[in-house]
Amino acid sequence: LRLICTTTAVQRKNAGASGPEKYTEAFIKKQIEEFNLGKRHLANMMGEDPETFTQEDIDRAIAYLFPSGLFDKQARPMMKHPTEVFPEQRKIQWGEDGRPFHFLFYTGKQSYYSLMHETYEKFLNVQKHQDQLIAQDLPLQKEKRNLAGSRWLSKIELEEMLLEKLSDDDYSRFIQLLEKLVALPCADIEENYIRKFSKEVPVQLQKVVIEPLQYDEQGVAFSTGEGKRKTARATAVVYDNGTGKITVNGTDILHYFPVLQDREQLLFPFQFLGRIGKHDMVCTVSGGGRSAQAGAIRLASAKALRSFVTEKEVEFMRQAGLLTVDPRVKERKKPGQEGPRRKFTWKKR
Amino acid sequence: PCRDTARALGHSPASLVPCRIMPVRWSRYNPSYLEPEVKKESYEKPLEELSEEEREQMELKTVRPIKAAPPTLSSSVFSDPMISKFTNMMMKSGNKVLARSLMSQTLEAIKRKQLEKYHKAPENEKETIECNPYVIFHQALKNCQPIIGLSNITRGGKTYQVPVPLTDNRKRFLAMKWLITECRENKHRRTMMPEKLSQELLLAFNNEGPVIKKKHVLHKMAEANRAYAHFRWW
Repeated sequence: LRLICTTTAVQRKNAGASGPEKYTEAFIKKQIEEFNLGKRHLANMMGEDPETFTQEDIDRAIAYLFPSGLFDKQARPMMKHPTEVFPEQRKIQWGEDGRPFHFLFYTGKQSYYSLMHETYEKFLNVQKHQDQLIAQDLPLQKEKRNLAGSRWLSKIELEEMLLEKLSDDDYSRFIQLLEKLVALPCADIEENYIRKFSKEVPVQLQKVVIEPLQYDEQGVAFSTGEGKRKTARATAVVYDNGTGKITVNGTDILHYFPVLQDREQLLFPFQFLGRIGKHDMVCTVSGGGRSAQAGAIRLASAKALRSFVTEKEVEFMRQAGLLTVDPRVKERKKPGQEGPRRKFTWKKR
Repeated sequence: PCRDTARALGHSPASLVPCRIMPVRWSRYNPSYLEPEVKKESYEKPLEELSEEEREQMELKTVRPIKAAPPTLSSSVFSDPMISKFTNMMMKSGNKVLARSLMSQTLEAIKRKQLEKYHKAPENEKETIECNPYVIFHQALKNCQPIIGLSNITRGGKTYQVPVPLTDNRKRFLAMKWLITECRENKHRRTMMPEKLSQELLLAFNNEGPVIKKKHVLHKMAEANRAYAHFRWW
């Protein structure tokens, strides 16, 4: 299954796990000393207090002293703490006599295997505790861990933690082991250890800010929303105390959308909230085809209705799929094929 | 493989439900997006009436992003997923307008025929006559669904027809496909599609008609080939 949509985390390459160390520890120390000295000199030059010179001040000073018109921000002169510039890498794993420090060094993936060992040790620990409780006839705790609010560390994050490259298979085995551990009833003992590998997922709704209602000259409350679908862009203004009249680009919806399906889509948000005869709507739409325009207006009106409605209902609208931008667009034609999927007619000779 | 890529992106285990509706090869949505729930009734239920699973599902929904509702789906009483599927299957060259008008004319024809029967029937039989075209459609489709299907398995050069259980989706698809092909092929040149379809649906509702016969033929073939059932390895 190839992913067309990738997050930035997936695309970012993990430099820390790329190979053995390129900078010695002494080198990094020297760089840090030089950075601190340079920071104080810079503060002196700018006439500020060297003790309270923060990273933002450094950035501003450098941008002032070395103005650069380069497009790429990464190519401009910068002065950052060496730990940000030189990625964290593994130090040399063997001593002067050539003997490696870690007992699993010759497996090739020492941190991964040591992690698996540790996790399995915790697993056996929990089982032992469970057996003890059963032997004493005490009840086992059955508190269910809330799965919805947390997720396991992704493969990239785990690689960063271990400073070692992992394969997909390794990663999935580790996650399976963690899940087995969590599934045991007495896993609460190892809660601290498990917490190192799980992350909180924030509730989706909190990411979006709902605008407050605006009032026009007559005192009627209204709210605007923008929506898009394929190439169509729409803006909708929803007025309160209305009769359910909907106007698109100056014409009534009955004339603009002769097809029933489009009109159904326009009324969908209102019908879902049960506010069909209560609002008036005036919208403008451009681009796309008939179905795309209807979808764009639907999204715009749903976004506008958010201001009229309680938070719970906004959450219901989101779960009904009214507030998500539809990312589906026309797939491109590929070379060597007639269309996005259709291949040329196969001729034997 | 889809589970591993999903895991690699850090999706929690509860979301990795065995995919019922897998996207064809890839979809524009991130795998963490969930399907939208459009029915108003499911949101009106108070918290106490929900079972454990439903509560977990609700909690999961608050954390995960949700896909946009497709243009064929809406919360109105007239939109039905089964009818939309059937309309899509009837559609030719992307002419959804025509397919939808045919479908609505079919439902209207069913309603008219049933109302005629209702008004002609004596008092005691009036309650047994079903007038709701949606109910008739669903029941007819259910009656047309085969329980067991045949699949071609090649062993030692010869291809055998082996009886095989069918998934729900496959049953629905076969029922709809049979109805449509039946209506397209076995009709007089001058009859309109809605007329013929309404006729077929009413016959199927009463467990008669060519589509039901086809289903029975398939069942008989499966029964006849019972001996090869052990060829199936899944």
